[in-house]
Amino acid sequence: MEKRTSSPYPRIDRLVLAIVGVTLVIGTGLFMWSDRAHDWRYFQAEFRQMVAEKFGDDKAAILPSGVQQIWAGELSRADRCVTCHQAVNYKGFEQAEHPYRTHPAEPLKLHPQEDFGCTSCHGGQGWAIDTAAAHGEVAHWEEPLLSRTLGEEYTLAGNKNALMQMNCNTCHRYDRETKGAEAINLAKRLINEKGCRACHVVNGFGGTIGPDLTNVGEKAPEQYDMSRLSGQRTAFAWHMAHFKDPRALSAGTVMPNFNLTTEQAQALSMLMLSWRRQEIPARFVSGTPRTDPRSAEELKAEEAMKTGPGGWFVQTGCFVCHSISALGVRSPAQIGPDLSNAVEDVQSRFGVTIDAFLANPTGTMSVVLSRQIILTPEQKQVAIGKLREAFAEYQRQRGAPATAISK
Amino acid sequence: MRLPSLTRTKPEAPNVHAEPLWSLRPQSDREAGDAVVSNFMLHWFPAKISKAAMAWSYSFWLGTISAALFFLLILSGLPLLFLYVPSVERAYQSVKDIEFVITFGSWIRAVHRISAHLMVIVVVLHLVRVFLTGAYKNGVGRGQQREVNWVIGVVMFLTTLFLSFTGYLLPWDQLAFWAVTVGTNIASSIPAIGPGVRELLIGGRNIDQPTLIRFYVLHVVFLPGLLGVLFAYHMWRVRKDGGLARADAETVLESARATEVVPTKTYTLLGMARGTAPTVTARTMAAPNTTVNAVPDLTRRALIATLGTIAVVSIMSVFIASPLEEPANALITPNPAKAPWYFLWLQEIVTDTTIRIGSFTLNGAFVGGVILPGVLVGLLTFWPWLDRSSLRAAGVWLPRERRRQNIVFLLLILGVLLLTFVGMVLRGPYWNFYWPWEIWPEIPGRI
Repeated sequence: MEKRTSSPYPRIDRLVLAIVGVTLVIGTGLFMWSDRAHDWRYFQAEFRQMVAEKFGDDKAAILPSGVQQIWAGELSRADRCVTCHQAVNYKGFEQAEHPYRTHPAEPLKLHPQEDFGCTSCHGGQGWAIDTAAAHGEVAHWEEPLLSRTLGEEYTLAGNKNALMQMNCNTCHRYDRETKGAEAINLAKRLINEKGCRACHVVNGFGGTIGPDLTNVGEKAPEQYDMSRLSGQRTAFAWHMAHFKDPRALSAGTVMPNFNLTTEQAQALSMLMLSWRRQEIPARFVSGTPRTDPRSAEELKAEEAMKTGPGGWFVQTGCFVCHSISALGVRSPAQIGPDLSNAVEDVQSRFGVTIDAFLANPTGTMSVVLSRQIILTPEQKQVAIGKLREAFAEYQRQRGAPATAISK
Repeated sequence: MRLPSLTRTKPEAPNVHAEPLWSLRPQSDREAGDAVVSNFMLHWFPAKISKAAMAWSYSFWLGTISAALFFLLILSGLPLLFLYVPSVERAYQSVKDIEFVITFGSWIRAVHRISAHLMVIVVVLHLVRVFLTGAYKNGVGRGQQREVNWVIGVVMFLTTLFLSFTGYLLPWDQLAFWAVTVGTNIASSIPAIGPGVRELLIGGRNIDQPTLIRFYVLHVVFLPGLLGVLFAYHMWRVRKDGGLARADAETVLESARATEVVPTKTYTLLGMARGTAPTVTARTMAAPNTTVNAVPDLTRRALIATLGTIAVVSIMSVFIASPLEEPANALITPNPAKAPWYFLWLQEIVTDTTIRIGSFTLNGAFVGGVILPGVLVGLLTFWPWLDRSSLRAAGVWLPRERRRQNIVFLLLILGVLLLTFVGMVLRGPYWNFYWPWEIWPEIPGRI
């Protein structure tokens, strides 16, 4: 039989092959280990021990183990938070540290977890099973856990836990008052008091000078001009700074500075981010209003203002900044002076007659009348006529103090 | 089933392959050859192979590594097929589940992703190696058509790119959506037919469900199938052409010393009758010191290359996490929006050739996205017919005779690498230029 060709390779190649083999085994060990190494194993073991100490080994033995999830199918949420937060439904750990703390019972009565999951209220990334990813403290996850810690990061003026109320308002946006959502309630009161709808459409009605705010929470962070913002570069921080001083963030804006307190600005920012477009199955919002409710009085007052003697000022848009109290027109913003006595007031402020001033305005009005409210000479004549009417009414009311309109 | 025998008996009858498997330790050349003949997987190997063609430092085994990566991609893709849902509503969720809760899911996805990126790199390196060694040139064998195999190789390279590109969209996140937007927009700059090509590719005018299902089917059925068929043909041609060009180079060197060439080995009966079958000269093949048995010397090295590739990818996949950005959103363009990295040199050229004079814009997409890559691929495809060097310049690293074309080729490769680097690393928001030490403006978040 012929001999085999001798080869110089086996000596070294077998060694290389052996090294490759060992590397393969190491690699296999590594990926098996990395698949097992998760914090939840530690948290589950720890909780098991806590239950064993408090309620005995029998109770501990029946605790579920492995990855757990709440599947809120109608909201398309698979919330695996309960993998670590095993005590959520386990009475007796109300005072324990997170993640071993029992969930307060009250909110769960109306919002059962099996329907709502966890993240629809708390935020965070329900899919994840590691702390940082689940709490949304990772890149490319825009819904962080709305926790006390995050509230402290923003140095919230009031309740440090208030950020979560943003998610309440996803379903409760048409509520006037939502129990437990104090910051959102404050913001909603401010929306009415400050007359934001004079310039902004919210839920379908309002003025068109400013942008529609109905779904302002959908605006992506990339779509904000952050160039003048210092500190945290987030949409939330932008709104806070903008409410504090609109002109500092967006040059040339006509939005007035309402001198809001920090708490008010923060509450309003939360309200802005909560106004999102989200489809919610009907049964989830059965107890809440489905449109922005306006009371009969409010509608009547609005109608009276529009059709009353001062109706022209409402239609033209003057009322956004100016009340004309003599004619029953109340400005929601009240930035400018009351025009009831404009006829004499203009004379004392600018040293010209009302006719001359409107023909050739100065100061803020020169900007407003050249950009926001552009009047033809005929319309200006109507304005002057109306203002004289208002002044006559003003003097008449002054003469009879009993019927004076108080603002 | 019998295990490969370590101590084996003689075949019972001559010319009968008694062994269903092959021996790991063949006792004779005959036994070593039997292994090749009796085993389907080893059938594409010759019984003997020249040492020079087997050298690590000649081919770097880049073709084998590419094949190993393709194998790994199929293997890691199979479980993903069961887990991934190709719908715009669920794709992103299903990838999140693969990442977070599927056993070994994030590792499998990382293996798939890293193999894909490596495959693009290794296939390019393989192509560069073949060019620099002039291995697309025919040698002394009859019926050789290495230039055909080169063209097949170029098509396989383009298929690899397209495979990777179609896979890019599937996670349906911002990275996927905008990379494919940028990529397909380049296609639409072809005059006249461009918009039609884009529409055909993405199944409409916007990237949506029709795009996803097209890319998905291309990615999991059509393109892997095509690549598999091309791969089989590529390997068959290597065999038909008498092995690597390096083996021919050996023969040429040998025949310089002796004049007589005796054809002793052929592969097809019909080919032999017609005289078209490739033949290998007796001198090189028979010389005991220039060849070794394919089994086990070649198979062992193939095993080292394949298992080594798997080991490296496996370990890399533990440490390199696969990105998954925000869900795809057609209304929000990430800044900067970049094409997949292997197309970034094109995107860079597109920007650099876009000329703005006042309000008039001369779009560079046609130059950078169509003309230039078209010319380059065309040249690449037909180069074997343009290369006029002698067969002495085949199968040898950087031969003097091919010096000029190799330098031009390397400069082009260098240019592409440079532009890719600029696009990958030095381009920030608004495609502005940033040095590596310059910090990009912070990307804002929501809360």
